[in-house]
Amino acid sequence: MIRVKNLSVAFDGPEVVKNVSFEIGDGEILGVVGESGSGKSVTALTMMGLVSEGARVTSGEIYYDEELLLKAGTPRDNALYREYLGRKMSMVFQEPMTSLNPTMKVGKQVEEVLSLHEAAIEETQRESTVPSGSAVQSDVKCGEKVPGKKRKQYRERKEARKQKVLEALSSVGLKDVERVYELYPHQLSGGMRQRVMIAMAVILHPGLIVADEPTTALDVTVQNQIIELLKKINQEQNNSLLFITHDLNLARRLCDRILVMQNGCIVEEGITEEIFQNPRGEYTRKLISAVPGRTGKKKKLRKEIGKALVEVRDLSVFYRENANSLFGRTEKKCVVRNADFSVYEGEILGLVGESGCGKTTLSKAILGLNKMITGEVTHHSNAPQMVFQDPYSSLNPSKTVGWLLQEPLRAQGALDPSKAMTEAESRAEAIEMLKRVGLEEKYFDRKPSQLSGGQRQRISIGQALITRPGLVIADEPVSALDVTIQAQILELIRRLQEELGTAFLFISHDINVIYQVSDRIMVMRDGRILEIGETCEVFEHPKDPYTRELLR
Amino acid sequence: MKRIAAWLKKQNKYLLVGLIMTGLAVALGLLSLVWTPYSPTAMSSAERFHAPSFRHLFGTDNFGRDIFSRVMQGIGTTVTVSTAIVIISAGAGILVGAVTGYFGGILDEAIMRITDAVNSFPSILLALVVISIMGSGKQNVILSLGIVFAPSYVRIVRSEFIRLRDADYIMRARLMGVSKWRILFVHILPNIFSVFWVSVTIGFNNAILAESGMSYLGVGVQPPDASLGKMLSDAQGYLGRAPWYALAPGLTIVWIVLGFSLLSEGIRRGAISGKREVE
Repeated sequence: MIRVKNLSVAFDGPEVVKNVSFEIGDGEILGVVGESGSGKSVTALTMMGLVSEGARVTSGEIYYDEELLLKAGTPRDNALYREYLGRKMSMVFQEPMTSLNPTMKVGKQVEEVLSLHEAAIEETQRESTVPSGSAVQSDVKCGEKVPGKKRKQYRERKEARKQKVLEALSSVGLKDVERVYELYPHQLSGGMRQRVMIAMAVILHPGLIVADEPTTALDVTVQNQIIELLKKINQEQNNSLLFITHDLNLARRLCDRILVMQNGCIVEEGITEEIFQNPRGEYTRKLISAVPGRTGKKKKLRKEIGKALVEVRDLSVFYRENANSLFGRTEKKCVVRNADFSVYEGEILGLVGESGCGKTTLSKAILGLNKMITGEVTHHSNAPQMVFQDPYSSLNPSKTVGWLLQEPLRAQGALDPSKAMTEAESRAEAIEMLKRVGLEEKYFDRKPSQLSGGQRQRISIGQALITRPGLVIADEPVSALDVTIQAQILELIRRLQEELGTAFLFISHDINVIYQVSDRIMVMRDGRILEIGETCEVFEHPKDPYTRELLR
Repeated sequence: MKRIAAWLKKQNKYLLVGLIMTGLAVALGLLSLVWTPYSPTAMSSAERFHAPSFRHLFGTDNFGRDIFSRVMQGIGTTVTVSTAIVIISAGAGILVGAVTGYFGGILDEAIMRITDAVNSFPSILLALVVISIMGSGKQNVILSLGIVFAPSYVRIVRSEFIRLRDADYIMRARLMGVSKWRILFVHILPNIFSVFWVSVTIGFNNAILAESGMSYLGVGVQPPDASLGKMLSDAQGYLGRAPWYALAPGLTIVWIVLGFSLLSEGIRRGAISGKREVE
C-alpha cells in the first residue's frame, strides 16, 4: 500500500527522523508508538506532504502503491500531493478544537473535501486514468460560471454532494445528521468534532488514513467510542490505518502491527501481541512497564486513619455566567452539587472523573479560590498548596528555580514573622527540597524554560511542599507528561508522601493512574460524587454503573 | 583584537547597529552641554546661509548661526524631552494598568472609559489644549504629552495583567500567601517585559516626533533654545534657498528614531532568545 524507504528528515539542526523504513499493507492497522519528540508525527506529516517548508528530507523515498510520492533531493510535488490528499490518503489530527474551521458550518467543511476532488474523480471515472490537471482549478471553474442549461445539472450535483455528506456523517456514528450539518464546530463536543474529522477523512474512501493521536484530547469513555469507530471503518472500507499514539494500551487494542520509535529511529517492529508478550528492545520494555496498569498488587490501607485535615460538608459550587459583561444578566450555574467528604492525614485520596465533571472547580473551592459556594469547608491544617497539570504554565517563566523554591518561604515569613528565615536559611532549605524531588543542585540557577516538562513538574511539587503543608491538591499532575516520565513523577509523589506524611488530593481522568497512586478513591460525574471508598474495594466491587463503565 | 571581533560577531546585529547609532546621537547631545564648535546662539550677519563646508559642517541659518552646533543642542533637548515623556506616560501606564487589570471591577470600567475619552481626541490637539491651559514651555510640553500618551500604555499593561492574573503560577503564588503588591510587581510585571518594551519603543519614537511637532507649531521649546522640531519649522521658509537648513534636523530625527528602533528590537530579540535556550 504505502512504502517508506530509508526516510530521514531534518529541520535546522540534526535529523529528527533517522533512516526510517516501513510498509503498510492493504487494510492493515499499523501503530506507531513513542514519546513526544520521538519523530512519529514528523514521519507521518512528511508522508502526507504536510510537513512545514523548513523541513528537509535528507534521504529516502515514499511510494504509494507503485507511484513515487517523494524522493530526497527533489522538491515536493505539491500538485501531486494535492491530488492524493483527501482522495487517496487523509489525516485525522489530535486537537479537535482547532482542526476544524470555526467560521464554517461542519457540513460545508466535509462537503469541501468532496467538491475539491469532484472534477478529478469524475475524470477518473470517465477515462479511468489519472488526471493531469489540477483538481482545484477545475472546481473553481464549475463553481463560478454556470451556463443556463447546466444549472439544473449543477443543482442536482449539489444535492448529491449533500446526500453523500449526510451519509458520511451518519457512518461515523453521529445522530440527527441534518441538524449537525448546519452546526458550527463550537456547538459540538470534542468527541463529535473528532467524528466530523473522521467523516472528512473517510468520505472519499481513501486507501490510507493517518490518525495522529486522534483520541488524546478526549475523555476515556469517548476515547473508547472513537477507537471502536476506527476499527469499524477499517473493517468496512478495508483501508489501511496508520495510528500514531503515545498510549500503548490504545495501540494494543487497535493495531495489527506496531512500530516503536525513539529519538527518530525505529527501535522495534512486530506483531502487536508479540511485542507486548516479549519485547526485545530495552526501551520497549521500559515503555511497557511504565504504562500504569491495574495489575500491580495494591498495598492495604494503613492501619489506622489519621485525623481529618479537611472536612467538606454539603458543598455546592457555582459559577457566574456572563460575569464579565457590564450589562446582561448574570446566571448562577451549579458545577458541584452537595459534595461531602474528608481528606485524612497522610493519605492520598484519588478523585477521578471526566473533563467538565467539576473536579477542578471542587478543588479550587476547597482552596478558597472560588468564593461562590454553599455548605462548608473546614481546614485543620495550614494553607494547602496546589500542583497544576500544565508544567509550562505553572512556573513563573521570568524567575530562577531557586527563587521559585524560596518564594513560598519568603511569603510565609511575611505573613508570620516567627517563621521568617534569612536568605541563607531559605537557600539551604530550597537546595534540600531540590534534592528531595530528585534534581541536582546545578538546577538552582536555571530558569523554567531550560527544564523539561518532567523537571518542571518536580519543581512545582517541591514548591508546593517546601512549607510543609498538611494537604497538597494535585490537579492532573501527570496528564501532560510522557508515559515514562509519568511513572517517575507518580513514584516521586508516593515517596514524598511517605517521607513527609503530606496528604494529597490527587485528581485525574485516568483511572489507571488513580489506581496506582491512591489509598482511597472518589468517583465524580456531572458535579456529583458518585462513590467514595478504599481503592481495592471500589475496583473490585464498583457500586455505581458509571464506575463500572470507567473500569471497563 | 581577534577576541573583540569574535565577541562582536556573536552579538546580534540589531543591537549593535542600534547601539552605535543611538550612542553617537546621545554622545553629541551630551557633548553640547560642555562644548559646541560655535555658540549655538551666536549670530553673524556676514555668514548667513552658508552651505555646508569644513568651517560649518551643516552650514549656517538665516541668522548666520552654525547649524551643526544647533543640531547638537537640539538633540539634547529632544532626547531629554522625549525620555521624560516616556518615563511619565509609561510609569503611569504601569501603575494604572497593573491595578485596573489585576483587580478589575468598577474602578477598571471607569478608568477604561476615561482612557477611551482621551484616546478619542487627536493627540496633538489634546496636547495643545493642555498647553493652552498651562502655558507653553519645556516642562508643560513634557507633562501634556505624557498625559496624552499614557492611555495607550494603560491599555497594553492592563491587557497583559488580565491575561496573566489567572495564570497557574499566579494562582499558586496566591495560595502561598504572597501579598497582592508583590504579585503585581514581582510576579507579573517581569513577564510583560517583551510586550511592554515594544510599546516603549514605539512610544519613544512617537514622543520624539510629537515634541518636534509641538516645537514646529511654536508651543514647545522657546527660542533661542534649539530643538530639532523648532529648527525644522524655522527652515521651512528657506527650503529653496538653503535646503541644508531643513535637511540637517530632519535627518537627525530619522537617525535617532531609526537607531532607537534597532536598539530596542535588538534588546527584544535578545530577551526572546534568552528564553529559548533550552539545555
